[in-house]
Amino acid sequence: MILGYIGAGALLAGLVLAGFSSLLSFWSGARDSATFAQVGRRAFYAAAAMVVLASALLEAALVTHDFSLAYVVEHTDLSTPIALVAAGFYGGQEGSLLYWTLILGVLGSASLLASARAGARLAAYAGGILAAILTFFLFVLSVVASPFDLLSVTPPDGLGLNPVLRDGGMLIHPPVVLAGFASFAIPFSFACAALLAGDAGVAWIKHTRRFALLAWGLQTSGLLLGMWWAYHVLGWGGYWGWDPVENVALMPWLATTAYLHSAQVQEKRGRMRAWNFGLVILAFLLVVFGTFIVRSGVVPSVHTFAISAIGPWFLAFLGLCLLFSVGLLALRAGAIATAPTHHPTEPVSREGAFVLQNLLLLGVVAVVLWGTVLPLVSGMLGTQRVVGAPYYERAAGPLLAAVLALMAIGPLLPWRRAGRPALRALRWPLVAAAITAIALALSGVTSIPALLAFPLATAAAATALTEFGRALLKNPQVILRRRRRYGAYLAHLGLVVAVVGIAASQLGQQVRAVTLQPGQQVTVAGYTLVFTGSESRTLADHTELVAGLRFGDQVLEPTRATYAGLGGQALTRVAITTTPFADVYVVLVGTNEDGSATFRIFINPLVTWIWAGGIVIILGVVLGNAGEGGPVAELARRRVPATLPA
Amino acid sequence: MSAALKWGAPALVVAACVGYLIYAASGGASEYYLTVSELRAHAPDGNVRVAGVVQDDVQKSDGGLHVTFTEKDATASMPVEYSGALPDIFKPGITVVAEGRLGSDGVFHARTLLAKCPSRFSTQPYTS
Repeated sequence: MILGYIGAGALLAGLVLAGFSSLLSFWSGARDSATFAQVGRRAFYAAAAMVVLASALLEAALVTHDFSLAYVVEHTDLSTPIALVAAGFYGGQEGSLLYWTLILGVLGSASLLASARAGARLAAYAGGILAAILTFFLFVLSVVASPFDLLSVTPPDGLGLNPVLRDGGMLIHPPVVLAGFASFAIPFSFACAALLAGDAGVAWIKHTRRFALLAWGLQTSGLLLGMWWAYHVLGWGGYWGWDPVENVALMPWLATTAYLHSAQVQEKRGRMRAWNFGLVILAFLLVVFGTFIVRSGVVPSVHTFAISAIGPWFLAFLGLCLLFSVGLLALRAGAIATAPTHHPTEPVSREGAFVLQNLLLLGVVAVVLWGTVLPLVSGMLGTQRVVGAPYYERAAGPLLAAVLALMAIGPLLPWRRAGRPALRALRWPLVAAAITAIALALSGVTSIPALLAFPLATAAAATALTEFGRALLKNPQVILRRRRRYGAYLAHLGLVVAVVGIAASQLGQQVRAVTLQPGQQVTVAGYTLVFTGSESRTLADHTELVAGLRFGDQVLEPTRATYAGLGGQALTRVAITTTPFADVYVVLVGTNEDGSATFRIFINPLVTWIWAGGIVIILGVVLGNAGEGGPVAELARRRVPATLPA
Repeated sequence: MSAALKWGAPALVVAACVGYLIYAASGGASEYYLTVSELRAHAPDGNVRVAGVVQDDVQKSDGGLHVTFTEKDATASMPVEYSGALPDIFKPGITVVAEGRLGSDGVFHARTLLAKCPSRFSTQPYTS
């Protein structure tokens, strides 16, 4: 009970401090007062400290089973394992908002600590915007959806956690996704602050580079962990269903990916200034849009949304962010436009590759956005219409193939214009693609998507590998010295590995439903399984039906658990075993009275490549983020362009 | 050729391609999303998705791979027939979305069956 009172008090105190910080920071930005800007930042740190306190209190209430709090009752019970009880912090609506706010407070504070060096007014305005966002979240947490609401009667036990969510994935997937979303508020705030301050330079990009990369790394991990979780738990043989919940997590990732590339054009060449502002704003608006979609239930989804009073508040917040940022961009468009130079840039150049990649990624965003909002739009005009996976595959597939091709070409093109030497460098990826295409054709592959995806992936891998090979032959230390560059190539390589896994498992999946008598065997795509029999086990809160299948010298045990206490809800436990070329993925559908059992058996080629590629991507992000000399040193080291103007 | 043309023309081509891909793909792949009563009132050609509540008459056969049940909303109901793996949370009383078509026999032949998945941590809101 006392935890609830202190927690609610901490949120209110945080709200007041954040509001004060926002007003003071904006005022000091307008008046150019360094002292008051510093006070504003300190108020932000204090507000963040209040959020940390409130989070610690909620966590304490959860792990001590303080059932006087409605939130603790609704999301945990005494029998839930303690790690999952702790995960209840971000498992429910109110708690996940508090978690969002916590990340915003902590990372926001970190971004403000050294921000004065990026420019006094820029720092003051950035603090004001970050504090305004923090104020919104603390307002919702204090007034609309408080995790510290008390119950009039304290029940002896809570309602517990749905068995589908009683899984290790619950511990890592949601916090990573939410942190990836929340952390993008930092590049957004500094971008808008730069617009407010009329500072069209690269100060905001350089100051938030690490945060943008962190946000991207977290979003990437969040998407992959979600796929991994769905694949291992849900038992439908796949990992991605183009559900709105997945789509709204994918769109900010695409926009952030585009921004990480176009930001380099501004850092290295001083171009694409307005575009970068626009991209950062778009990425953050997509984050807020996604949060609104996921929490309002306005589009049909297989996920049941926690429909609550906060939907309209998020819609209002989205509208405000949209008006503020887009209005600001329109107002400053003239001032930030790139000054014309005497050295024009040709479209066939590194810049051109980045622009094309950006357009293609935004094209994919448009495809996904249209698919996500179609039910809303069509519902307003008449009967609701929805699109499924075929829409996304047909519309986004060609665009993604083009992005893959650019991953092979772009890194080899020099800045400004590509002459013959640069085009000659394209021979290795071209050869690699040709060899793969011929090998595939010879082995009888006729599917056009496969004949495109694998050769292009090989070409992209060849490009990244030749860059590494060149460095290793010349001077291996260059990889550590120019970490940003080689970190990016490593991330490219990881992405290619993941793409190969995705393409192989999407195009080559085989599935078979089969009923087997004990002793009977079945062969799917060359993998033979023998059914050895099934048994029933009774455990504390559920019963399990376990089937045994011999596969080589292993025994697979696909299981169906039934939770009597939850109205007989069933839970599938998939049996997965990984062979060098494919996952054998077995789902027990049910058993019959004659002792036979029915299975769905999936052969999923190269799925492990997706997870392995994800790890390589994260290694690349870590390498690229580990720090490198300042931009001046970077400029000094920059290689002489391959083609100098005559 | 001016810089604006050199950069603008390819960008327009990309934008046009994206627009065409969205148009072409959504034309062929979109389906109506209806309630049972809407389907009863007017059944469009082709595949549709129909949302409704599973009734108590669930019949499973073939080791659980084949299932028949009645899907109902506030005013109308229809029999549904489905072959395939059922979602874990499938049981009478939950809302499902059946994708398929209404046969001339009056039975809805579902190709896929989606259940509303609990993304909430709790099983139901606490009411005291």
